[in-house]
Amino acid sequence: MNLINAELFKLRTTAIWWIMGIVLLPLYAASVLANWAQFASTNPDQVSDPDQAEQVRAALEPINVATTLYTSGQYFGVLIVLLLSAIIVTSEFFHLTATATFLVTPKRESVILAKFGAAVIVGVLLWLLTTLINLIVVPPIMSNLDLSNQLGEPAVWRAIGLNLLAFVLWAVLGVGLGVLIKNQLAATLILGIVYVVGTSAIGLIFFLLTEYVAQWFENLQVLIPTSASQLMISGTDLPGNPPRWVGAVVLIGYAVVAGFFGTWLTKRRDIS
Amino acid sequence: MTGPASDAIVVDHLSKQYKKLRAVDDLSFSVRSGRVTGFLGPNGAGKTTTLRMLLGLVTPTSGNATIGGERYTELHEPIKHVGAVLEASSAHRGRTGRNHLRMICRAAGLPDSRADETLELVGLTPAGKRKFKGYSLGMKQRLGIAAAMLGNPRVLILDEPANGLDPEGIRWMRDLLKALAAEGRTVLVSSHLLGEMQVLADDVVIVAAGKLVRQGPVDEVLGSMGTSQVRVRTPQPAELTTALTSLGASATPQADGSLLVSGAEAAAIGHAAFTASVELHELVAERGDLEQVFLQLTAGMAGIR
Repeated sequence: MNLINAELFKLRTTAIWWIMGIVLLPLYAASVLANWAQFASTNPDQVSDPDQAEQVRAALEPINVATTLYTSGQYFGVLIVLLLSAIIVTSEFFHLTATATFLVTPKRESVILAKFGAAVIVGVLLWLLTTLINLIVVPPIMSNLDLSNQLGEPAVWRAIGLNLLAFVLWAVLGVGLGVLIKNQLAATLILGIVYVVGTSAIGLIFFLLTEYVAQWFENLQVLIPTSASQLMISGTDLPGNPPRWVGAVVLIGYAVVAGFFGTWLTKRRDIS
Repeated sequence: MTGPASDAIVVDHLSKQYKKLRAVDDLSFSVRSGRVTGFLGPNGAGKTTTLRMLLGLVTPTSGNATIGGERYTELHEPIKHVGAVLEASSAHRGRTGRNHLRMICRAAGLPDSRADETLELVGLTPAGKRKFKGYSLGMKQRLGIAAAMLGNPRVLILDEPANGLDPEGIRWMRDLLKALAAEGRTVLVSSHLLGEMQVLADDVVIVAAGKLVRQGPVDEVLGSMGTSQVRVRTPQPAELTTALTSLGASATPQADGSLLVSGAEAAAIGHAAFTASVELHELVAERGDLEQVFLQLTAGMAGIR
């Protein structure tokens, strides 16, 4: 507990938390507005491909609109959690504080565990922040879309809960990856770019594989962490997608692997 | 004054092999409590690697290093036993000095008030709420010492603490470390500043190229090198040289007109001058200085490996 307290203290005694906050808020606002605009303007009858039209129609069901809107900000919120969690680790090496940290606590697995704990708390706080704002701003948007607020639907609350799971799992993933990519600049750049660009790039590769090699590649797309977490929070099972729990399993898998490997590596590493 | 034996540092056949470099090579020495021990060696001699192994930050290839009979990583609440200052620049640039100390307090379960007490101890209270990036090198060294003193440890390990300190800061550091040793604590200080060590240290451990060169009390190490010479000034150098040669000593004329005599004690030289009726203006026994001894001991072992 002392160690988690110390990790959170480290985070809030530097500028990083409010820098990330300043980055997050406009991105969050943009995603709420983008979601709103998308639902306000999409019409399944305009889509020519019958398969896609089916998907669009499902996505426009009130319950699916609601789950998407009430989890607005997941994409960027998770990105910020990922970066903050990685920085919790990399800043120790970047600012040479690892020496002081490991002198106080020579049992390095305890330090890494505390970092996992602190990152998870950061994830929960950001989830809480975005969810609270969503609960305030989404009902008026829903009424603008001529839909009821859907807050009585268990599926909405399940999506919000699974959104929390996504924030937590990405926090764990971030710490694990931060240990693997020790260099702070490299870690933030690689994670940021791979998260934003990599998802579309890998998505394109999967699309091409699906089109030209074999149909079953489509089912592997869930292995992309961002696809997995989006799948996990979708309201109902969308046609043509694997079931939701697959997304959760994929994310938990990544988080566990990164966590264990990162801890193992930190224990072995010479601190100099 | 000797402290409890349980505070002694023992390095036992310690080695560290990096890919091609044997940074530390079968090194053994011990450090007693109640004394300041200087850990000397040229740059790249393996001092820092040794200290990092002692503190559990670097894993030895072989051998053992213990503090009070236990490895650092096995100590319960280590910073209450051992305080260490390893590198002056090891704090987050954007964090205040006080918060840097508080962060350590929290991790160690110490009250935040310790941060203010140690800031006071090192004379850094006025700068406590300033960010680390605004600190001078001397202030960073002081903050490092404050961090090391948080747990009020019985053992202090400092890596090049005098680096970047001005003369006043060096004097402050010397007085502090001597006072801490006088309280019975174990103080191990690495340095390549030999003049400083000659004034500060009671014992020295000299390493070069990762190996132990010599260990012992400063006086013994200096004496054992037999570099003692006697400076003599006389208006009759020729007569004195003749008298000294008959004693089996040799006299070398110096640029300033004095003679540097080796092979005879000051008393013997004085007696020889007296019996030869040679007038003396100066007769000074010159102690070998640590720098000379050090250069002789590490000759050919220093430099980039």
